[in-house]
Amino acid sequence: MSDVTTATEGVEPDFDVIVIGAGVAGCVAAYLLAQAGRSVVLIERGDTPGAKNLSGGVLYSRVLEEVFPDFLTEAPIERTITRNYIQFLNGSSSIGIDYQDDRLANPVNAVTVLRATLDAWLAEKCEEAGVFLMAGVRVDAVLKENGRVVGVRAGEDELRAHVVVAADGVNSFIARDAGLRTKEPTNHLALGVKAIVSLPEETIRERFHLSGDEGAAYAVVGDCTMGVGGGGFMYTNKASLSIGVVLRLDDMTAKGYASSDVFDHFIAHPFVAPFLKDGEISEYASHLVAEGGLSMVGQIETDGMVVVGDAAGLTLNTGLTVRGMDLAAASGIAAATGIDQALTAGDTSKVGLAGYRTALFASFAGKDMETYAKAPAFLERERMYTRYGQLLGDILYGVFNHDLTPRRRLMSVARGELKRSPVRMRDLMSDGIAGVRAL
Amino acid sequence: MKIVVAYKWAFNPQDATVDSGGTVTWGRAKAGVSEYDPVAVELGRRLADATGAELIGVSVGGADTASPMATKSALSRGFDRVVVVADDALAGASTTQTALVLAQVIAHIGDVDLVLTGDSSVDVGAQMVPAVLAGALGWPSVMNVTTVSVGAGDLRVERAHEGGSQVLAVTGPVVLAAASDAVVPRVPGMKDILAAGKRPVEKVDLAALATGPSASSVAGVSTSRPELKSRGGRVLAGADVDAVVAELVAALRATNVI
Repeated sequence: MSDVTTATEGVEPDFDVIVIGAGVAGCVAAYLLAQAGRSVVLIERGDTPGAKNLSGGVLYSRVLEEVFPDFLTEAPIERTITRNYIQFLNGSSSIGIDYQDDRLANPVNAVTVLRATLDAWLAEKCEEAGVFLMAGVRVDAVLKENGRVVGVRAGEDELRAHVVVAADGVNSFIARDAGLRTKEPTNHLALGVKAIVSLPEETIRERFHLSGDEGAAYAVVGDCTMGVGGGGFMYTNKASLSIGVVLRLDDMTAKGYASSDVFDHFIAHPFVAPFLKDGEISEYASHLVAEGGLSMVGQIETDGMVVVGDAAGLTLNTGLTVRGMDLAAASGIAAATGIDQALTAGDTSKVGLAGYRTALFASFAGKDMETYAKAPAFLERERMYTRYGQLLGDILYGVFNHDLTPRRRLMSVARGELKRSPVRMRDLMSDGIAGVRAL
Repeated sequence: MKIVVAYKWAFNPQDATVDSGGTVTWGRAKAGVSEYDPVAVELGRRLADATGAELIGVSVGGADTASPMATKSALSRGFDRVVVVADDALAGASTTQTALVLAQVIAHIGDVDLVLTGDSSVDVGAQMVPAVLAGALGWPSVMNVTTVSVGAGDLRVERAHEGGSQVLAVTGPVVLAAASDAVVPRVPGMKDILAAGKRPVEKVDLAALATGPSASSVAGVSTSRPELKSRGGRVLAGADVDAVVAELVAALRATNVI
């Protein structure tokens, strides 16, 4: 019988821990483990951390302050989100909720970041803490011996460690290679298409009614996706806007649209276009997004390896907020806790690493994944994207359109529009109840 | 024998944009070992392995030239050690300033037999540093070098010319600029990077070098993009392929293209 609790087997590992992927989850895990005195190598495919990353977004930042107390003053933050808009778009109308709150800035709750700069900063912090950063290396496979992961292989080189952390993103090839994941069903995946539009800082402040480093974030549903399940987003960086759509892969394939067409349709919408006027598209990219919620978080630990962040399926779309980076950071913290315990105990088998799962599901991240477990199924309801916005628009049109016909009471307008709308009372009730339960 | 390769830690303009006013925005451009320098490193490594020489990387530039990422990236390409002068006073330094500081570092290292450089830097591309450096050292310089080998008491250097090549015998120290396609540089693997982390990095203080201010200065006044050639913008279309082809040929003849 071979001993699966440790990786050594007479071969001294090069490092205590190998982390694959210098994103948020990988950097946080590497940083904390190095701080705990462990030898850590952080392997990144891009020539520099962030080089491969065109994404960015709204980061709910408090969790990162737990790791880096000076995060808000030191890290490359674009803007502090103090204004949240929820916007329904129809072909020719739009209805919005504008939620502005000074309390969102004190303490700071959410910030916009560009990953090209954030990841570089995180990796620098890791190096300062003693992590060995290895950029420009693509890991080809995990090394397995006696059924446990003992290291990684890149080209002809092999590196060995007690624990491997797969932090290689939504397509986690490493997690699949280790047999922890299978190919995701397409309703667990969405395609994000995004552009960064450069605009002068002052123009951004004027167009979005902001002062200083305040920022705004729009969550958009309806016509922005041409009825495909998903939504649009737009948020302000320092001197640019990030704008794009997230489209559920199964629905887009079924409807036969190209993602670029949906994106073009969104940015040309009369509600959106004026925000972008005279801006220059400086980046354009698409990326897969995990949307399976809790059901996508499967096995996250095995003998000699754990999976964190997007690779572990840790993203949440609640309809109003889309989260990934804060959950990634939380999983990095939990992984560091679990791995440190396992190394101390000298047992890095699946059982020895179980502390990671325990720590993750004791944290807000794991609890939120459980709370919103029903959200993905709820958000798959077609009416959410096509009919409610139109119904609302028609009701408001009835209220504001003084066409010299005698006015009717609001309730009567609403009832009339509901009758004309393909949405039935039964649907409204069902969606309402499901919504309350899921969100 | 000591072989020095002068390399540059430079932003890659691939990710930079030039707006209509000629202003260059570096945007998300990342710094790295300048594109053609790994060719010189590879050339140097092979020569060092063949002769038992020491291969030393030398770089002068802004403070980030001495960052762990920069030195590790350079060392992983095959240097035995690196010597850097990293000072923000040298960020965006002119070719002359760069070459003069390099000459000082080479004097500081001492007993250097050969200096190799890349064909040109990826961000400036002036192709002047090797020549100015050789001038400052009082050494000869040879550009567009495709092969270097050690002969009997001299270096055999082959350089490319338009339409041919020339073999030179060099005695005494020399500066050689490698042709961009002289050799195919190796891609550093995990073991190379790991070993690089353990090799020595010497940081030389700019103030400790005997570089005085130059009597001349050159400053940029404006930059502009090359004018885009105006295009005809004609699209020929039609169901009858032969007719469209005939139309295309006629149009090309009319504009003296063929």
